[in-house]
Amino acid sequence: MAALLRSARLLKCSPLGLLQISGTKRTGPPFRLLFSGPLGARGTGVCSRHISPVSGNASSRVWPYTAGCVRNYALATEQKDEPGVTMRSNQAQQFDWALAKLDSSVRRTGRITETQLTRIFQDICKTGYSSGNQALLLLRSCGSLLSEVPLEQRTELAHRVWEKLHELGAVYDVSHYNALLKVYLQNEFKFTPTDFLAKMDAANVQPNRVTYQRLIAAYCQNGDIEGASTILGFMKSKDLPITEAVFNSLVTGHAQAGDIESAKTILTVMKGAGIEPGPDTYVALLNAYAEKGDLDNLKKTIEAAESAECSLMDRDLMPVIFTLAKAGHQEHIPHMVERLRHERGYVPDAMNLCLSLITQGLEDTAFYILKNFPNLQSEDYKNEANLGNFFLRHCVNIDMSLEKICSFCKELQESKLHAAPISFTLSVALETKKTAIALALMKMLKELDLPIRPHYFWPLLIHHVKGKNIAGVVEVLIGMQDLKIEPDSETLSHYVFPAFADIEEARRILKDAGLSLAPEGFFNSKIRSLAVYNLAELHTLLSDPSCPATELSVFRGSLIFGFKKSSDVESMVKITELLSKDQRFSKEGTKASDTSSYFLYSFIDSMSEGEVHANEDKLRKYFSQLKDQNISVTLNIFRGIRNLLQSYEAQELIKDVVALVGRDGFGSDALRGTGAEGRVYALEKKLAKRKAENQPFGNILKQTIQSLVADENLVRALELKQEHEDEMVTPAYASLIGLCCRHDNVEEALNLKREMTRKDSSVKLDGTKYIALVQCLAKNDRIEEAVDFLKEMKEKEVVLNDKHITLFFHMLFSLATKGGAPTVQRLQDSMFTLGLVKPNSNLLSPLVSAYIESEDLSGALEAAIDCQKRYNHMPSIHRIVVALVEKGDTDLLQKAMDFVSQERGEMAMLYDLFFAFLQTGRYREARKIIETPGLRARAARIQWYAEKCINSNQIEPLEQMVDMTDKLFECDRDEMYSYLLRQYEATNEWKKAEGLWTKMQEENVIPRERTLLMLAKILKNNGQEVPFDVPETWYQEEAPPAKRAAPKVEEGPRSQGTSFQSPIIALCKNNKAQEALKICKEANDNGLAFNAIRYDYLIRSLLAEGSLNDAMAVKDIATSHLPTFQLSPAANDLYIITNSKKGQANDALERMRSLLQAGQTPSELAIIRLVQALGNSGNVSGIQEVQALISGHSKEVSLSSMIFVNNTAMAHIKSGDVDSAIEALEAIYTNPDTQSQSMAFVFRKILEDNNEKALDKLSAMAERIANHFACYRPASDLFVQLLDADKVEDAKFMLARINALAEQTDVLVSYMSQKSQIPGQLGKIKTLQSLIPDFADKDVVNTYVMKCHVTDKDFSSAKALYEEWQKSGGEIDELSLKRLAMMYRESGETVPFEEPPESFKFYADQLKERRTQSEKKAET
Amino acid sequence: MAAPSKKVFEVFVSKIPWTLAGKEMKEYFVQFGPVKKCLLPFDKDTGFHKGFCWVGFTTEEGLNNALQKDPHTLEGAKLQVQKNRRQFEGPRSSKDAEYD
Repeated sequence: MAALLRSARLLKCSPLGLLQISGTKRTGPPFRLLFSGPLGARGTGVCSRHISPVSGNASSRVWPYTAGCVRNYALATEQKDEPGVTMRSNQAQQFDWALAKLDSSVRRTGRITETQLTRIFQDICKTGYSSGNQALLLLRSCGSLLSEVPLEQRTELAHRVWEKLHELGAVYDVSHYNALLKVYLQNEFKFTPTDFLAKMDAANVQPNRVTYQRLIAAYCQNGDIEGASTILGFMKSKDLPITEAVFNSLVTGHAQAGDIESAKTILTVMKGAGIEPGPDTYVALLNAYAEKGDLDNLKKTIEAAESAECSLMDRDLMPVIFTLAKAGHQEHIPHMVERLRHERGYVPDAMNLCLSLITQGLEDTAFYILKNFPNLQSEDYKNEANLGNFFLRHCVNIDMSLEKICSFCKELQESKLHAAPISFTLSVALETKKTAIALALMKMLKELDLPIRPHYFWPLLIHHVKGKNIAGVVEVLIGMQDLKIEPDSETLSHYVFPAFADIEEARRILKDAGLSLAPEGFFNSKIRSLAVYNLAELHTLLSDPSCPATELSVFRGSLIFGFKKSSDVESMVKITELLSKDQRFSKEGTKASDTSSYFLYSFIDSMSEGEVHANEDKLRKYFSQLKDQNISVTLNIFRGIRNLLQSYEAQELIKDVVALVGRDGFGSDALRGTGAEGRVYALEKKLAKRKAENQPFGNILKQTIQSLVADENLVRALELKQEHEDEMVTPAYASLIGLCCRHDNVEEALNLKREMTRKDSSVKLDGTKYIALVQCLAKNDRIEEAVDFLKEMKEKEVVLNDKHITLFFHMLFSLATKGGAPTVQRLQDSMFTLGLVKPNSNLLSPLVSAYIESEDLSGALEAAIDCQKRYNHMPSIHRIVVALVEKGDTDLLQKAMDFVSQERGEMAMLYDLFFAFLQTGRYREARKIIETPGLRARAARIQWYAEKCINSNQIEPLEQMVDMTDKLFECDRDEMYSYLLRQYEATNEWKKAEGLWTKMQEENVIPRERTLLMLAKILKNNGQEVPFDVPETWYQEEAPPAKRAAPKVEEGPRSQGTSFQSPIIALCKNNKAQEALKICKEANDNGLAFNAIRYDYLIRSLLAEGSLNDAMAVKDIATSHLPTFQLSPAANDLYIITNSKKGQANDALERMRSLLQAGQTPSELAIIRLVQALGNSGNVSGIQEVQALISGHSKEVSLSSMIFVNNTAMAHIKSGDVDSAIEALEAIYTNPDTQSQSMAFVFRKILEDNNEKALDKLSAMAERIANHFACYRPASDLFVQLLDADKVEDAKFMLARINALAEQTDVLVSYMSQKSQIPGQLGKIKTLQSLIPDFADKDVVNTYVMKCHVTDKDFSSAKALYEEWQKSGGEIDELSLKRLAMMYRESGETVPFEEPPESFKFYADQLKERRTQSEKKAET
Repeated sequence: MAAPSKKVFEVFVSKIPWTLAGKEMKEYFVQFGPVKKCLLPFDKDTGFHKGFCWVGFTTEEGLNNALQKDPHTLEGAKLQVQKNRRQFEGPRSSKDAEYD
C-alpha cells in the first residue's frame, strides 16, 4: 500500500490538499487578474471545446457499456468454459492478496508488470463479481506504474478493465472516475473534460473537489488555460476550496501555453492567497524549464526551492530528468543526476524511471541513469554483481536492436557493474523464445571463450517440441551446429525426438537438413521411447546379448513412466528380473540386485497416493510375481517402500513387499511397530490414571475441599482439613493456600504451607500459589519473607509460564500504586537475579509507574536507564517523555533523548519524541520531527500510538498524526485512515468520516474492504446515503459457519438508493428481489432483454430468498432471449442449496450430477446441504453417489469424511434401518485413525426427531465403544447433545456409568465455546459445570462465561463475574478484559482498569497459543 | 549386512546458475569423493532447470568433504550446499542404526 501510494507522487499531481483556502473571497481577485474574461459569465454551461481532435473516438471507447447485449452475452459464455469458476472465494481476501502482491512489486521494483496486472484482472473476472476497491486497485495500476508498457496501451488496458468490470456488475462511484482521470493524466491521454463530466452526470455520480482538480490538470497538460478556468468557475460556484494542486496545474498550464512568465507568477499568487508553494509546485516549474532546455532557470528554480526550505527529493527530480530526455536536452541531464541524493527508496523509483525511458525509446538516458545507481554490492560480492538485470530484460522484451543490447552488455561487463550480463541477457532471450537474439548472444559468448552447453538450447527446443514444429527444431539444431555444439543424448530424446512421429522420421529429416548426429544418442532414445510405449519389445531389445551396456540411469525415468501406465505385468517382471541379474544395466561397482531394488523404490516413490490405490491390484500381482522369480529387496529398501506405502495409507500392500525381503536381510523385529507405538503408550497412560482414581478417599476429599474453595468457604474447608489431616494431599493444600491469600489471611496461609512442607518437604506448590503468597506478604510489608518464597520457587524449580509472568506483572503493578518504588524494586531485583522470569518492559514498567505516581520524574528516568543497562529493556519511556515535555524540563528531556538515541537509535528516539509531542498537543514540533529526512514508517509503533488514541478517545492527536504522516516513507495510508475511521465510528462523526473519503481519493489511496465497510457503517448509522458500492454480503448468508462467524461485526449495510446504472443489480443488492423481478417481467412483456449477468444476479437473489419458482421463471425468460444462457456457478450452488432446503433432494442431486459431469465443482456448502437433504430423505445410495462423484475433485473440495458417514447413518435411521447405521459408525470408531471424529450431528438429529428407538441403540453403541475400545468420542458427543437438549437427567446417568466422560476436556470445552457464541445459552454451561465442576480450568470457564455475557449483552453479570474472578485469584486473560472494557465503553462508563492495548484477535490468538502450550506441558 | 552400500550420502545444492547443468555439477563435486548420483531437475515447461540439485556421494567422507568446503564457487557463482534432509521420509526408528 505504502509503495503504491508513494509512487503516485512521481506524478505531476500533488496529493497534498490539506492547505485549503475556504471560500472564494481571498482567491477571487488574483484569478480575475490572471484570467481574461469574467468567471461567472461562463457559468455551468457546457463547454464544447475539445482538448484534442481524437477525443470523439476515444470517449466512445471509454463508455462502451452502451453496446448491445450480444457482446455481454459472449462474455458470459466465455466464463462458463473456465473450470472451477466459483464465487465462493472471499473477496476481501482476494483483494488483500492482490494489493499485497502489487504493492510488494512496486516496493521492490518500482513498477507493476503487465503480466501481474492482467493475471489479477483475470482472477477477478473469474469470480464473476468485483468489489469497488478491486476495481479501484486495477484502475489505479494502469498508469505510470506500468512503466514497461507504452502509454496508449496502458489507457487501453484501463478502458478494458473499466468496461469488463462494469459488465460484471461493478458499480462505479466518484472515486473510480477520479482514478480513471488520474490514469488519463499519467498516460497523457487526450479526452474531453466536459464529456467526462457529462458521462458522470448520466451515471448519476456527482463530481467532487478531486474530480475538478484533475480536470483542471487535464486542461493544463494541454496548455488550455481557458478550459481550466471554466472548471475553476464550477468549483467556485460550489464553494469548493482551491488547493495547492490546482495552482500546480496552473503553473503547468501557463507553461504549456508558452507563457512561462505567467507560470512563474503563479507562485507569487499562491503566496498572496496564503498557500506556500510546495515541492510539486517547483517541480511543475522545473518541468517547464526542462522542456525548453533552460539550464540556468532550472538551477535558479532549484535554488529558490531550497531557500524556501522546500526540499526537493530524488523522486521530485526524476520527472524533470524525464522531461529533459523527452525534449531532447540530454546534455543537461548530468546536471540533474548529480543532484540526486540516493535517498531511501531511490532504487525502485529510479528503476521505474529507467524502464519508462526505455519504453519511450530513450534507452541511452536510461543507461546513463543505470550507471549512476548507488553501489549496493559490498566488495565481497564483486564477482556476483548483477546491476541492470531489469534493464537488460526490458531491452530484450521490447526487441531492441542486437547491436544496442550487445553494447550495453559489454559496457556493464567492462565497468564491472554486472558479472555476467551476456549470459543473463541470453537467459531472458531464451525465456522469451527469441531465437535470433539468443543465437547471436551465444556467438558473443563463444567469442569471449565462455562455454556454451547443450542445455542452453532446451528452452528454445521445448517450445517447438510442444508445438510439433519440426522446422523450428531444425532451425535450432542448425544454430547449434553452427556454434559447433553437439546435441547430447538427453537433448535428443527429450527436446528433439518428441517433435517427430518416430525415431526413423527424425533420423531421415535431420539427415536431409544436413545435420549429423552420433548413433549412441539414437539408441538411447530408442530405449527410452520403448520404455514408455512398449515394455515387451523393450525386454526383447535389452535381453539381446548384442545390446550395448546401458546404465539404468539413462532410461530410468522413462521406464518408471512406462511401468506406471502399462498393464503388462509380465514384461514388468521380466524387465525387473533382467535389471536384477544383468550387470550391463548397473553402474560399475554396483550390484545388479541393488540396482533393481532401488528401482523398485523409485518406482513406488514416483507414484502419488491416488495412483497407488488405483493400481493396487496391478502392484500386488507385480510383487507376487517378483517373489515367484526369487527377486528380493534389501531391508533398507523395504523400509523405504514401507514408509512410502504407509504414508499413502496402502498398508495392505506392505505384506506383499515384505515377502520380497531376502532371507538374510530380515531382522526379527523389523516389522514391529508399524505405526502403532503412540497408541499403545496412550492407552497405558490412561490405565495408570484410572488406577489412581481407585483411592476413593483422598480423591474425594480433595474434590470436596476444592469445591469449597471455589465457593469461597474458607471456614468449612479448614474444618475438613482439620478432620482428615492424614488424607490431605498437596493439591488440597494448594487450593486452601490460594484461598487464604485471596482473603488476605497471611498467617493461615503460612501455617498451611508449613504443614504441607512438614508432611513432605520435597513438595512444591504451583507458580500461581507461590505468587499469591508473595503478593500477600509484600502487601503486608513482609518483604523479606516474600523474597524467601521467591528463593524457594527457584530452589524447587517451580515451572513458570506466560500466565505466571502476567501474574507477576499484576502483583508488581498493584504494589506500585501502594507501596511505592522500593518494594517494587526489591521484588523485581530478586525475581530477575534468581532468574525466575526474564525481564521484559512490561514487567519493568510498574517500577517507573511507581516513580511517576509520586511525581519523581528524575527517579523514573533513572529507573528506566537502569533497566536498560541491566536488562536491555526500556520500560514506559513514552510516559516519562510525555511527563517531561509537559513539565518542560528540557535538561532531563535532553538526557532521556540522548539515552534513547544511544541505546535504540535515532529513529526510535524520534518516534518517542513525536508521540510525546502529539500527546501533549505540540503539533508544530511533532510535524517537524516526522518530516525529518530519512525517517520511514514504523508500522508497529504507529499502530501502537493510534490504538492508544482510539482506546482513550483522543481524536485530535490521531487526526494530527494521520495528517502529518502524509508523506512519510512507506506509510500505509489505508491503515492510517482506518484508525481515524475507527475513532469516528466510536464518536459517531459521520461528516468527518465522509471528508476522509474525499481525502483518500485525493491521495490516491485504495481503501481496503474493511475501511469501506467501516465508512459505510458510519454513514448508514447516521441515515446518510453511502456514495459508493458496498462490498456485498448477501449471498454469504449461506456461507459456511467458519467464515460467517468472523465478519459478523463488519456486516455491511446495503447501500440505500444507489440505483446507479443498473436497477436490477441495485435492487438485488438491497434485498428487493421481488421488485427486480417485476421490472424484469415488465421488460420481458415489452420484448426487452437484459444481459446475462443481470439475469444471473436476479436468479441468485431469488434463490437466496427461497423463491425457487420465480427463479426458474427468470431462467426461462433469460433462455428465451439468450438461447445458450446458463446459470453461473454461484447460482448453481444456490439452486442446489435452495432445493435441498426445500426437501427436493432429487432435483438438487440431478443438478449436482450434471455440474460435476461438466467438470464444474459446486461449493462445499452446496454439497453439504445436498448430502444432508439426502440423509433426511433416507436416500443412502444418493449419498454414496455424491461421495463417488466428488472423489475426483478432492483438490478443490475438502470435506470431512464424517459428513458422508453421519448422513449415511441418518439415511439408514430415517429408513428404519438403525442396525446398518450402527455398523457404519462402529467401523469409524474401531479404526484408530478416525476415532476422534465427531458424530454429534447424528445424535442431535435423532434427539430432534425424538426417535427413542434409534437413541437407545446408538447410546448402547456409544457405551460399548467406550468400554471396549476406550474410545470416548461417541459417548461424549451424546453426553453433550443430551445436555444441549436439556435432558440433564439422562446425561447425569450416563456420566455415572462412564466416569471418563468427565475427562473429555476437548469435547466439553468446544461445547462450551459453541454455546458462548449464541445468546441465552449461559444456562447450558452452568448445567455442565454443575455436573462436572472441574471439567476445565476455572480461568478457561470464566473466559467463556465472559463471552456469554458479552453475547447476551449482560453488562451487570459481566461486572459481577469480573469481581468474582478477581477475588478467586485466577488469572484474568487479556481477551476477557478487552471484552469487558468494550462493554464498559458501550454503556458509556469509564473502564476502571487498564485496557489491554492490542486487538481482540491478537489476544484471542495469544490465549489459544498459551492454552495449547499449557496442555502440552500437562501431557508430558 | 548389505545395508551400508545402499546408503546414499546426499547433499542438497541450491542457487545453481542456469548456465550449469548436471554434467558440470557432477564434474565439480567429484573432487570431494566418488559421486553416485546427481539429480538436477529441469522444468518441462520452460526448459530451464529449477536451480537446485541433489548430489549423492558413495561415501560419508565425500559428503563431509563437500560440506566442509565453503564457499563453493563455480563459474563465478556461489552455490549453497547443505546436507540433504529429505531422504527416506517417515519415522526413522533408532533400529536403523543397528544395520548401518
